Formats: sequence, structure tokens, C-alpha cells
Amino acid sequence: MIRAMLCLAACITVILWPWKPSPALTAGDRALGEYLSSECVTCHQLSGHYQGIPPIVGWPEDSFIQIMDEYRSKRRSNPVMQTIAGKFSNEEIAALAAYFGSLKARH
Amino acid sequence: MTPNRRQLIGGMGAAAAAAAFPMPALAQAKPKVVVVGGGPGGATVAKYVAKDGGIDVTLVEPTRRFTTCFHSNLYLGGFRTWESITHSYDKIVKAYGIKHVRQMAAAVDREKRTVRLAGGTVLPYDRLVIAPGIDIKYDSVPGYSEAASKRMPHAWQAGPQTRLLRRQLNALADGATVVMIAPPNPYRCPPGPYERASMMAHVLKAKGHKKSRIVIIDPKDSFSKQALFMEGWQKHYPGMIEWQDPKVHGGIKGVDAKTMTVKTDLSEYKAQLVNVIPAQMAGKIARDAGLANQSGFCPIKPESMMSAVDANIYVVGDACIPGDMPKSGFSANSQAKVAAMMIRGELANSRTFPARYTNTCWSLIETDDAVKIGGRYEAKDGKIAAVETFVSKTGESAELRKQTQQENMGWYAGIIADIFT
Repeated sequence: MIRAMLCLAACITVILWPWKPSPALTAGDRALGEYLSSECVTCHQLSGHYQGIPPIVGWPEDSFIQIMDEYRSKRRSNPVMQTIAGKFSNEEIAALAAYFGSLKARH
Repeated sequence: MTPNRRQLIGGMGAAAAAAAFPMPALAQAKPKVVVVGGGPGGATVAKYVAKDGGIDVTLVEPTRRFTTCFHSNLYLGGFRTWESITHSYDKIVKAYGIKHVRQMAAAVDREKRTVRLAGGTVLPYDRLVIAPGIDIKYDSVPGYSEAASKRMPHAWQAGPQTRLLRRQLNALADGATVVMIAPPNPYRCPPGPYERASMMAHVLKAKGHKKSRIVIIDPKDSFSKQALFMEGWQKHYPGMIEWQDPKVHGGIKGVDAKTMTVKTDLSEYKAQLVNVIPAQMAGKIARDAGLANQSGFCPIKPESMMSAVDANIYVVGDACIPGDMPKSGFSANSQAKVAAMMIRGELANSRTFPARYTNTCWSLIETDDAVKIGGRYEAKDGKIAAVETFVSKTGESAELRKQTQQENMGWYAGIIADIFT
């Protein structure tokens, strides 16, 4: 459900406002993302299981980047995520998007 | 962050490793990492060093199944079963080829780079990870001892002590006096004693107690999430929990387990339940190995979690001096990932990145009313320094507090999956 909504949001964004990311944001460094992801997987399960904290594997990279940017700029609530996202650079967010985007949920 | 800086850091690690340490005797032998302690620090290091292969990892941990100290207060409050906070090492042993040696580590020979086990076996290592957690300083409370803890449990290491405390709590009749002696800083889980008092009050209130009271005698002037706990106690348990700082009690004079009494400078309490949480120090193996300083805990290099006194040893979790981070399972897990990355950088020439750490501690005050505190940390000014922190606010909506508890349970499921699968 949540993922469907995110996909929908991403699609609407693409249709209404063709987003042109900077080159740094398109070439996510997956190895960097895998390292940085260790901060995320303490709460978000790599298996994609949902047990109170939303899964983040297999998302489209652009919606992952958009949501992290919203946390970073505190337009999205939840102080844990605002704090986590706050110090990530564009390059690091793109790396995370590349890494998590490359994984599939294991159910 | 630029690729150059990253390469530089990786390169420095490899060069330093080559200069400082001889290669393993057999060129084809895999480097050996020994991890002492299978809690959230040790088990996480073992997994993260082992999972990409190329390194022999031995986990020295006497138990077959590990009960987490985090969420053991929820067990006390009846929100969790014992089974749900107890986890087997089987999955990580099988999935990542970790050797699990079910013994205590008896001694470390830092010159020879070996660990001697209680059974006499000697394990050589290229890198050693020390993650023994805490030992209790029984003599920090006059009259208290390991023997006294059989009547006045500390329950600050999850296990039989936790179950004893729950049995004692559940057996109380209305009108009971419960006394908790809170620990001085630094100690495992800063909000833990106050979450525990909340869980005790929850149990007593649910049983219909009207006259029972919980007195917290604290050596500290203030405590973690104080405003949030005070607000919650007033709201859910009016008149039941009394917190005394040193200005109120005047000093802790001592306890007597035979008579179940607690003396302060100002009063004497005859109690039906006494929970003494003494001062703490790094586990014995860390202190015996000379890794701790006069504080009883082990200084580390904040950019790597390497021991400040031995470049072949990493110390993670409650045994280390974590700068601005609290001692918590979340912190131990976060530190473990930094240590594992640096060890793989040294022994397997893997890429390394600048260390970054995170922590969040959730506390349950009453059903569906949870709060949290947390932050992000980096190596700065010679310590692990807070970069950004947050804490729940007083007066938050019931809906937000309920969400926070769902997040708490979700985090537990997540960190357990991260450590044990």
C-alpha cells in the first residue's frame, strides 16, 4: 500500500514535472550506498519485511531521493529520519537510492 | 566527500596495516578475527566482517541464545515474552560461516596476539574485537554484593536477574514499597532505569494497586528524558513514583538485603522490592587485557573504534568510551559496523569510508505512550561527537506517542534481523 502510494507519487511527479537531476544524483555509488545503508538497516529490514517501520528496498531511485530530500529539508516529519537525512550529501543520498533500489524484497 | 578523500583514507589504512603488522605466517591462510562477546556489538561485528568472505571469524560467546537487555523492561511490564527477546546465533553461524565457540574468554595475550579460552584452547588472531558489555560494580553501593543481588536484583544484564525481578514485582500486594537505586553516569541505557520504573508502575496500576509506591533514589541531579518521564508519571501514575535527587535524599548510605532496608542520609526504607542498579565498568576481559583506563571503560579511536592502546584490538559497545553516544544496543550495533568496515579495510583491503554513527533510544512509559531520543555522531575533536540530536517533546499527541511505540517495536524487529540473520 505504502509502496503503491510512493510509486504513484513518483509517477505524478514525473508526468507533471519532468525532474532533471544533476549528474551527481544520477550516478549513485552503490558501494558507498552499501556502506551507508548499514545505518538504515538497523531499523529498515533488508528483507523488506514490514513490522512497524516501512521497508525501503526496491524503490525507484528518484522517489527514494525525493523522500530523503524532504526529510533533509524537514518538509516531512519524524525526527529520526530528519536527523539521519540531515547530514547526507546529494551524492550519498543517490548512493543509498542506487543500493536500496537494486535490492528486491524477499518474502 | 570526494573520491580522492575516500581513496586516501582507504590507502592510509592499507599502508598503515602493512607497515605495522606482519602478514599471517602462511601466505594462503585467511586472516583471523576473534570476537569476544556475542551481544549487539560483538555479534554485529562478527556478521559484518564475515559476510563478504575472505576472513576467518570466531565468535567467543558461552551462550547458545542471547537475551537482549534492550526491551527487557518491556518483558518486566508484560509487553513482551521472554522468548521474544531471546535469539539464537544459528542463522548467522550458518549463513556467514562464523565459528561459534561456546566458552568464556579467559585472557588475552596482546604480545602474542592470542586469546586463551576458559577450557585452555588458545586462539590466534590478526584482529581482536572486545565486546564483553558491562560488569556490575557491586561495591559501589554500601552493603550490596553479588550474593545480595539474589534478593535485591540489579537486573541490568538480561538473564536470571531479569526474571527474578519480574517474579518479585508480580508478587507484590497493594501497599508495597518499591525502592530503586539508580546508577551514576556512565552506565548502560541512560533512560533505562526510568523506563523500568514506568513498567513497574504499569504492572502495579494494572493490578489495581492504590497505595503502592516506587521511590527512585538517584545519585544524579538529572536524568535522560526527565521532563518526558515526569510528565508521563504524573499523567498515568499520579502519586505512585517519587524521584529523589541527592538534594532530597542527602546521599545513599547503604542497603541490607537481610532486612530489605535502604538507608539514605535522610530516611530509612523498609521495602518489599529493592532494585539496586550499581555503577558499572567494562567487562573483566577488557580490564584484564589492560584496555580500560581509570574510568573502568576502554578508550577508542573515534574514527575507527580501534582501541586507543592496541592497534590490533577494537572495542565496541558498552565496554568502550563512546564520547557523546549513550551506551545502548543501538550504539553498539552502529559502532560494530564501523569496526567491521575498518577491520575489512585492514585485512581484506576493502574500501573504507569516514566513520559515522547513529543511535535512537525509545522508552515506553505506559501502553501506547512511548518517547524517543537520538542523534547522529562523527569523529571530531578526538571523540565520537554528536552532530545532530533530537528528543520527543512534552505534550505530544496520543497518536504520535502510539506511532512512536510502533516505531520502537519495528526498530526491535529490524535490529534483531540485522544482528541475528
